[in-house]
Amino acid sequence: MKVLIIEDEPSLRNSIREYLEHQGFICEVAADFREAIDKVTDYEYDCIVADIGLPFGSGLDVIRELKSLKSKAGIIIISAKDSLEDKLSGLELGADDYLTKPFHLSELNARINALLRRKNFDGNTSISFFEITVIPASKTVLVHDKSITLTGKEYQLLVYFIANQHRVVTKSALAGHLWGDAYDQAGSYDFIYTHIKNLRKKMMEAGGEDYIKTVYGTGYRFG
Amino acid sequence: MKLLTKTTLYFIIIMLPVFAGGAFFLFHKFNKEIKHETDEELANDQREWLRYLDTASLDNPIFRFQTQEFQLTPTDQPVQKKFKFKGVTLYQETEDARAPFRELSQVISIHGKHYQMILRKSMIEKDDLLKNIIYVMLFAFGGLLIFVILSNWFISRNVWRPFYHSLDKIRLLQLNKMEARRFAATPTHEFNQLNEALNQMTDRIHQDYINMKELTEDAAHEMQTPLAIAQSKLELLLQDENLSEDQLKNIGQTSEELQRLSRLNHNLLLLAKIENQQYPVTEQPDLHQVLIQYLSLFEELIREKELTVETHLVPTAPWPLHPALADILISNLLGNAIKYNYHEGRIHITLTAQTFTISNTSNLPEIPPADVFQRFRKSNQGYSNSNGLGLAIVKKIGESYHIQVSYQYVNGLHIFTASC
Repeated sequence: MKVLIIEDEPSLRNSIREYLEHQGFICEVAADFREAIDKVTDYEYDCIVADIGLPFGSGLDVIRELKSLKSKAGIIIISAKDSLEDKLSGLELGADDYLTKPFHLSELNARINALLRRKNFDGNTSISFFEITVIPASKTVLVHDKSITLTGKEYQLLVYFIANQHRVVTKSALAGHLWGDAYDQAGSYDFIYTHIKNLRKKMMEAGGEDYIKTVYGTGYRFG
Repeated sequence: MKLLTKTTLYFIIIMLPVFAGGAFFLFHKFNKEIKHETDEELANDQREWLRYLDTASLDNPIFRFQTQEFQLTPTDQPVQKKFKFKGVTLYQETEDARAPFRELSQVISIHGKHYQMILRKSMIEKDDLLKNIIYVMLFAFGGLLIFVILSNWFISRNVWRPFYHSLDKIRLLQLNKMEARRFAATPTHEFNQLNEALNQMTDRIHQDYINMKELTEDAAHEMQTPLAIAQSKLELLLQDENLSEDQLKNIGQTSEELQRLSRLNHNLLLLAKIENQQYPVTEQPDLHQVLIQYLSLFEELIREKELTVETHLVPTAPWPLHPALADILISNLLGNAIKYNYHEGRIHITLTAQTFTISNTSNLPEIPPADVFQRFRKSNQGYSNSNGLGLAIVKKIGESYHIQVSYQYVNGLHIFTASC
């Protein structure tokens, strides 16, 4: 899967690239508007991650260009401008998702995965991790081909973990993924522990291996 | 008081003495004229009488004639060369009242004898005159009043129309739609000046507003970007498998604090944006649905603390708020009610078409009323996940969108009420 990262801040660009490449994506980068336009006209990408504020132009215009090229690439806007107009105009132009800076790399990765699944297979695909199979269309999870029943949150957690396999995922990233903006109302992350405990238990009862490792004081690693 | 009512009133106050003075002047003038006329008539009459008396014989009964209008009395006084006029009042039997008369008197000599001759004419018309003048004046005054009121009404409808038009526009002025508001030229010079000034003012305010909006957004951009970089670097650093537990923990904590900083930045910006009215009211979100949504979102938190949530909700409660702010209002108040509650505590929520009340039990004492909605005023020892802006944001939403937000502490319950 090819991803184009359009971001003018070199440090952030490299972080995103490093994380995504580690998760198996082929990444290309563009540092400004012109480079972005050149790349989207010359090559095909499965997913474009675009910042809005760019030197020499706006990320919104890159989206316009992509749409005029009838590109099938999924588009995720990453912007520091948490302004509603930007978000709305971005989505109206045909962006598929919007992420406000700062964001967790694991969240960006999970969103790209979900978007590509939606785009390329209309959700008609399954995600596999050793003995675990997730069928997003029906939200079913199979362990050793045996269906297990998960709550909505447990299912979301599992999909998130598989997308970010082998990586340390912080508790706050998990909380943000499950509860969105409202998660800072939570007061503590204790409740995540409950969900993870249940997920672990259900998968192990079905004969699965315990892939969720607690990373001391920080979060979890899957696989 | 309306400007026109005021000018009409002033007009009446000024016109009253003018009319009274006019009436007095007219009365005086007419009175003098009547007196003059009467006197002339009396003098004429006297001349006739003298001519007649000269030819009359002495045994003529005229020499013993006594009426109110004519008297001829023998007298010893010397003959007067000129007659005298004066005004008298005499008792009238028929009317049982005294009536004014003009009197001409002269001592004359007829056939060698002296007589006091008195001629009188009734001035009863004088009363009628006064009455008539007052009637005329009242009539004129009343007519003028009706005319003034009618013309004012006409003026207010026509001449003042551009003024009221501008006024309506100012009333409907919204900060974020200001550039679309133009105060059009009118046929009246003064209103043109006013509208010109208003145009300049709205342009200036709009420019300031745009500048401020840009500043807040640029500030957000400038701050969020380094935060995003630091955040991403820490996340990558966490992936290093050679890290010790202590190092992992430190990175985790640093990352946590960075997020707090970014939330703080986000919330301060939110406050500024609400203050700038950057969230226009375009629809009326149903608070009932928002509440249900957040109750289910916070379900785990409620379950984990084993809280009892009692709700009395109307089926629909559309509030004039931006949907994003409706979310913030509900999530902040509900979040607080959960966060600051104790284990097995209670939350009571009432929602009507106009009011939203949420009360919760808590170990925290009453919040001083002066502090409750203040920024960074935290009374929440042991709740490190608060940035002290949640209630300030709720209050700011209230101030900017005409929603009354209040706090009470009754019988150990912290009660927050929002009413629109």
